[in-house]
Amino acid sequence: MNGIHDLGGMHGLGPVLREDNEPAFHEPWEGRAFALFASTFVFAGYTVDEFRHAIEKIAPAHYLESSYYEHWMFAFEEALMKRGFVTREELDARIAQLKNGGH
Amino acid sequence: MLLTPEIVPGLLATGASARVAADVAPRFQVGDLIRVRNHNPATHTRLPGYLRGKLGTVERDYGVFAFPDTHAHGLGEKPQHCYSVRFTARELWGATAPERDTLRVDVFDDYADPV
Amino acid sequence: MNQSHGSATESNASIRVRALESLLTEKGLIDPKALDALVDTYETKIGPRNGAKVVARAWVDPAYKQRLLTDATAAIKEFGFSGLQGEDMVVVENTAQVHNVVVCTLCSCYPWPTLGLPPVWYKSAPYRARVVSDPRSVLKEFGTELPETVEVRTWDTTAELRYLVLPERPSGTEHLSEAQLADLVTRDSMIGVTKVSAS
Repeated sequence: MNGIHDLGGMHGLGPVLREDNEPAFHEPWEGRAFALFASTFVFAGYTVDEFRHAIEKIAPAHYLESSYYEHWMFAFEEALMKRGFVTREELDARIAQLKNGGH
Repeated sequence: MLLTPEIVPGLLATGASARVAADVAPRFQVGDLIRVRNHNPATHTRLPGYLRGKLGTVERDYGVFAFPDTHAHGLGEKPQHCYSVRFTARELWGATAPERDTLRVDVFDDYADPV
Repeated sequence: MNQSHGSATESNASIRVRALESLLTEKGLIDPKALDALVDTYETKIGPRNGAKVVARAWVDPAYKQRLLTDATAAIKEFGFSGLQGEDMVVVENTAQVHNVVVCTLCSCYPWPTLGLPPVWYKSAPYRARVVSDPRSVLKEFGTELPETVEVRTWDTTAELRYLVLPERPSGTEHLSEAQLADLVTRDSMIGVTKVSAS
């Protein structure tokens, strides 16, 4: 798709911002999100291509403004919901529960 | 399959190659001039927009791989050859690009036509 | 940081991940200990020191270098580096005439077994956009300037081949051991945004 991800040659995005000696994961949640790839790939039956495409479909402004591993979360949720491993309602309920201090 | 810690090292060491052991004839040979197709699917592709309609030279045939455009949508692997194609910077970006600079992009059979 | 209890300062992203992880765990679909192992592996075990060893060996052993340029996957596997996001490797050699630099404009493809996980800048929009259309300006931001007589060759990782740059061995390093040479090789030089310096 001719989406926002197709960035080659685009102008106006500014300098390449770098951080010296950055860690593999800036927050613990990033590591968990990363690890969810292998952990879900082995049972859910999606391909890497499908995973990439799910990210490509993120709304353009959100794609540019959200962080890398947030993109992965979009993709996992879409692939898993599509196959019925989890529902939107279950996710929303759990998110609400965790926000209210549940664990 | 449930991924448990014992399985992790082996899984990582093996990975999941996209190569397909299928006897598919290549559409192009090394040295061929190709023109990238005006391919604009609304679905998944690994053809970057900046290559569309451009002329390039096949530098290397990497062999047969699953085709992302179909594989992303449950439409099968459609195995085909994947090539390293050389494009000059000027071909892609115009006359102000440095004369010697080039790009090498991996292009599938279905992304290109003979010239 | 204790992430096992919700707190007022926990980010939405963190909650989103915990929600999915906890649901999948309860359904018996994932094992959190496997996630722990994956995190630990990429935080501590797989990283650019792997690629540095490959480069240093190529610098000191011409026969190895030939194998690396001919069949990179097999040559890299001689070190025990293989697998996920490195199943089909290609090594591209920097010379006096050619300087290679690697990107994935469409997402973030990167050779994990030799370099670990990519830095944020490699995955960022500015790098992905500009290193294909104006690589010299990007290299300049990294402190690398090349004369017009050198070909800058940008590799866009659009398929499942994964690219590793074999940087030039700097002069003045003839006396160094292979291990000492490996210590000089930076991740950025194996992506191609910098050269290796002798100190």
